[in-house]
Amino acid sequence: MNTHSLSTLPDAVQFPAHICTLSNGLTVIHQQTPTPVVTVDVWVKAGAIAEPDLWGGMAHFLEHMIFKGTDQVPPGYFDQVIENHGGVTNAATSHDYAHFFINTTAGYLPKTLPCLADLLLHAAIPDDEFDRERDVVLEEIRQSEDDPDYLGFKALSELVYQRHPYGRPVLGEPENLMSLLPYEMRSFHQTLYQPDNMTVVVVGDIEQQRTLDQVNEAFDGFATSPGYPAVSVEAEPAIAGIRRRVLELPRLETARLMMAWVGPGVEQLRHAYGLDVLSVVLGGSRSSRLVRELREERQLVHDICCNVSLQRDSSLFTISALLDPEHLDQVEALVGDRLTHLVNRPIEESELNRVKRMLCNDYAFSSETSSQLAGLYGYYSAIATPQVAVCYPQHIQGLHPEELQHLASQYLSPYHYAVTILKPASLA
Amino acid sequence: MVDFSIQPSQLFPASIPIPTLTLHLPFMVSAPKSSSTQSFHRTVLSNGLVVLVLENDTADIVASRIFVRAGSRYETPEQAGVCHLLMSLLPKGSERLSAVQIAEQVESMGASMGADSATDYSLVSLKSISQDFPEILTLAAELLRSPAFAESEVALERRLTLQGIRSMKEQPFSIAQRQLRQALYGDHPYALSTLGTEETVPNLDPAMLHQFHRTYFRPDNLVISIVGRITPERAIALVEETFGDWQPPQIEGERLPLPALTGSVATSQPQRVSAVQETQQAIVMLGYLAAALHSEDYAPLKLINTYLGNGLSSRLFVELREKLGLAYEVSAFYPTRIDTSQFVAYMGTAPTNAAIALKGLQHEVDRLATMPLSQNDLQASKNKFLGQYALGKQTNAQLAQVYGWYEILGVGADFDASFQAAIANVTAETIQDVAQRYFTQPYISIVGPQPAVEAVEQLN
Repeated sequence: MNTHSLSTLPDAVQFPAHICTLSNGLTVIHQQTPTPVVTVDVWVKAGAIAEPDLWGGMAHFLEHMIFKGTDQVPPGYFDQVIENHGGVTNAATSHDYAHFFINTTAGYLPKTLPCLADLLLHAAIPDDEFDRERDVVLEEIRQSEDDPDYLGFKALSELVYQRHPYGRPVLGEPENLMSLLPYEMRSFHQTLYQPDNMTVVVVGDIEQQRTLDQVNEAFDGFATSPGYPAVSVEAEPAIAGIRRRVLELPRLETARLMMAWVGPGVEQLRHAYGLDVLSVVLGGSRSSRLVRELREERQLVHDICCNVSLQRDSSLFTISALLDPEHLDQVEALVGDRLTHLVNRPIEESELNRVKRMLCNDYAFSSETSSQLAGLYGYYSAIATPQVAVCYPQHIQGLHPEELQHLASQYLSPYHYAVTILKPASLA
Repeated sequence: MVDFSIQPSQLFPASIPIPTLTLHLPFMVSAPKSSSTQSFHRTVLSNGLVVLVLENDTADIVASRIFVRAGSRYETPEQAGVCHLLMSLLPKGSERLSAVQIAEQVESMGASMGADSATDYSLVSLKSISQDFPEILTLAAELLRSPAFAESEVALERRLTLQGIRSMKEQPFSIAQRQLRQALYGDHPYALSTLGTEETVPNLDPAMLHQFHRTYFRPDNLVISIVGRITPERAIALVEETFGDWQPPQIEGERLPLPALTGSVATSQPQRVSAVQETQQAIVMLGYLAAALHSEDYAPLKLINTYLGNGLSSRLFVELREKLGLAYEVSAFYPTRIDTSQFVAYMGTAPTNAAIALKGLQHEVDRLATMPLSQNDLQASKNKFLGQYALGKQTNAQLAQVYGWYEILGVGADFDASFQAAIANVTAETIQDVAQRYFTQPYISIVGPQPAVEAVEQLN
């Protein structure tokens, strides 16, 4: 087995970027790379899990409202400045974070960075813009609900996380959104968009001192936190038995089988990465076990894939299949049986090496651009610490067959999981 | 690799995948040598194969794109989908290797290999660390030169393709796009999905696949672009080793010419097409036939597309989303095509807003024909276009894609520079003139609940 791909990775994992905490508590991560594109990516621990129960959808709605300006910056001005100089900007919200990025050139940073910082620190959240943008979010929800995979995943998350807010849709529910008020959003914003909750990542052809000076100057004058009632996140107990939900959907051409197991959070990163290896062994490539057996040989599914989503408090291990409804029961049973197999027999050396190599090369292939690197550092900064971002290949290489067997038995029980099934309504 | 997140929800949806274009006024001032056309080496092998190489040693990665001048544009109506099926079968077996052996070989290197087809070309995409590149290229050559098309694999992929065609009916956007395309293109192959249709795919068999392969998969119909940590000399030598002894078919000592296409030409016959579906949103589209890549109207239309539909500051986004809150996704697209293309403005909106949405889209498109763009708007659109064009050429894979793509479409890799110059030279008068000529009577496509469809049909 050939392992020379590893020569591209450092032996002792060294964090290639510079991490600095400003006097106000803001974390800044900087890496100078030769690319002309500079990415600024601001990660805020202000995702859906930070929402009080009655404020479902607030984090994502706020992410939209950030772009609606401040006392200094009119709505739409920032988008114009960025785009008219050839840059791009966008933002995204998940359960653990919201993040906001720009891709531009170093020369334009003095013009754009203060503007981005002003939006993030001093969003005005004007009343009239609030109502109009809520219509946009409602359209976003409508669009998502026309997508059967979104509906299936939403139902699956609710089934898995009955107490933890990971079960709540990031987009929120229309009824909840209709009852939100602008002043509540201002209080949510001012409480969470605080320096100790935020990481600014800058990657590209710009020197460290220049970066720090510019960030220091721009990210100044945070609002005083009103500190709305703190949210306590309840730990999710392990799934006992099989939680099942069947959705009958009109306009559905093919059935879906979506199965989920709860994995460890970032406190046991090695375990989460172990599950990552197992997900590729089962359904992460053309020669993975479930793809080869169920799609290619027995032709019971049109497609099948396996995925691990790493989140702060718990990761989610999913197996999803696209199949004809008559094969639902058989495929679910076969998946359970193949999980048992993972527990009972160690993975062969050659198979494991192949999977490790794929994962490590994928990791290397996804750190080519400034925005990929900034995203990697910012993401781990939001859910763990930035330094762990570069430990991935080392962890993966260190996993051995017995440990993986153990992880399969600990996390992937064929008797305890959640499953959502989508069926065409006409066949129900 | 571990996913970054569970379905993060974005402020602004990613646009529909259309090959990216660009020029780089602000960006390329400080660009590394890898972004400049000058260092792209172009070589034509004696068998007619075109090789483009750009050395970029920033990372230990080599990306390659192998383009074949074959796509749905080259299919007869009866064989619609043959090229897509052919490409999906490339990794499923060659004369020497089985599907399982191929997958294991690729994965053991930790490399990636994808095969895809589009309207105007087909593509094998490769990515590996530098040391493995010879092996992955050798494998790709074998798959492209001697595919097996085994009956069992053909049957499996045919079934999966049919499934893919049916899946598209689950997405309101796909339904709206499909019916619009059919109305715009009539008998032209662009009327159909590259997957083919539920009628044609079941009839595709190994004999048809071999016939299509023999006709179009030949060295003088291929472009290979290679970008990454590899010298041009080495890259060209590798292509010579793996593809050099492949000869185009001969007849009486001469190269057999490629068949002339006899397909129909799209002519404008504006109409309304609709589908009643119990969806949460109505999808409304306004479409026009638009200039092909080779036309001088191509650059101005690309700029119009940017002005109207690209990004958070685009005209449609600001007027219809920011000011009226009508939509989450509102945009325009104008794909690059060898034959007559299409220009489409669209949005998804609440069914009760379908009529007002259509009027809004129509108003914004018509406005371009009635009044010239301000100098500010024109310059801003150029900066936006050229900046994003540059952002689309950052990775080795993106660079291999853009230059190889221009070469296979027949405008040459130099088009990268001349196109950017053409964009920079577009005037407000040209924009207005182009808008007047192309944005005449629109085709309209709507998908949504009955009342939304009726409301749109009642509009004048």
